Order: sequence, then C-alpha cells, then structure tokens
Amino acid sequence: MAPRAPFRRNRAEGFDVVLEAGEAAVLTRLCEELTTLLGGDDDQADPVVERLFPRAYLDPTEEDAEADWQRLAHGDLVDGRRRALATVEGTLAAAEVRRGRFELTLSEEQARDWLAVLNDARLALGTRLEVTEDLDLSGLDPDDPDTAPFAVYWWLGVLEERLIDLLSASL
Amino acid sequence: MGALDAPTVVDPDVDETVETAKPWVVVVWNDPVNLMSYVVYVFQKLFGYSKDKATKLMLDVHHKGKAAVSSGNREKAETDVSRLHAHGLWATMQRD
Repeated sequence: MAPRAPFRRNRAEGFDVVLEAGEAAVLTRLCEELTTLLGGDDDQADPVVERLFPRAYLDPTEEDAEADWQRLAHGDLVDGRRRALATVEGTLAAAEVRRGRFELTLSEEQARDWLAVLNDARLALGTRLEVTEDLDLSGLDPDDPDTAPFAVYWWLGVLEERLIDLLSASL
Repeated sequence: MGALDAPTVVDPDVDETVETAKPWVVVVWNDPVNLMSYVVYVFQKLFGYSKDKATKLMLDVHHKGKAAVSSGNREKAETDVSRLHAHGLWATMQRD
C-alpha cells in the first residue's frame, strides 16, 4: 500500500498505472472471485449476488414486470461486468513488470472499466464483510489476518477515489 | 455511503425541480459501501447532471436514505434502473 498515486493521466489522453506486485496479485484474485460469482447458477441466496443484481420494481405486486425486466436486462448486466473484468485482467496480464512493479497504460474507456471492476469488487467485499457507514478503518494492522480483508476494502476505496477524480475531469 | 473525502458544499439555489406528470420514478437508495464521490460521478455520467445537482441528489441519498433521480415512462425507467445497476448503485422504480 504505497503512498504513490497508482493512476496518472498521461499525455496520450490515457492513464498510466503503476501497481506493486502484491497489489496486482490482489486485483487479479478479486477479478477471479467476481468471475466465479458471475458464473454462478443465479443463487439468489447469495447476498453479494443480490447486491450486484438488485430487483428493479419496488412494488412486490409487480412480479410479472420484474420477471420481464430480468429476462431483458440480466444477461446484458452480466455481459457488461464480464467485459469490464476482461479489460482489467487483460491489461494486468499485458503489464510490463519493472523492478517488481506492474506498469501499464489505459485508454479512457479501459479506465472506466477499471473503475467499474474496482467498485464491484468493493461492493462484493463490503457486502461479505457486512460493513456499515460507521466502519472505522483507522488503526488497522495490515499483518493481522482477521483485518486483512478490511485493509483490501480500504485500499480499493483509495484506488477508486483517485480514478474517480481523474475520470470526473472529462465528464 | 462511505467517504474518504468530505462532501463538497452545495449551492442551495440549485434548481432541483423534478418533472411532474411522469408515471414512473427511479429511486436510488442509500448503501454503506458506495463512495460519495462515486455516486456523484455516476449521476453526472448517466444523466448529464451538473456537479451541483448530482451532489445534491447524492446528499439526499446519504442523509434521507433515498432520492428520486429520474422519471419517465416504464421503458425509460427500466433503462435507467439497468444503467444504475450496471454501475453498482442500488436503484428501484415505482409509480409516481
């Protein structure tokens, strides 16, 4: 968890990314976990799946409309998440490794895919960890295996904030 | 919503008129995970809202638990809900 900014805008209207090897490994593992989750057999009992794919109709008497919407939209929502995951996995796999650091460049569109995956990973992890708004992440011991997932959750937020900041500039 | 940064101050004079006579309303609900800055970014990106309007809506979600972010016929509402879900926001639609 280096203090250096992991994302920087470059002169080619894209972004330079530098990650420690351990950070790249964590991202790769999170991508694999999300891919597994998306490949599940629609087990609606999984709170993470429910969080990533909520129902559209608030009114429970709109079950027919809800089912129609699910039929139309669910496949596209899964495909969109798969596409973004493929971008992150592909760009990570193509990264140049220099002195143990992963260096890669992203187009604006690829950076948006990265943000989508970082957010999905954070949603999944936050749901698993049952985080609340009052969660206090100060004083985390990164070497404590019980709090390591919270450190990852915090780190994903730092990456996201940086990327949101950069991408907001071109809205 | 979690926050790594304090929210920016909102101009109280921003026009927040919601169009009426639209049969369906899309509501975004508060959740403890999505970052405030991310929610503002998504509102701007998906709906073309100004930063001020997007921030006002995000603060409504955060403090009041929900905010109506768009409205229209059933098809438009379904499309907006899908786009919000694609971005990880917790959104539902209901008759106005």
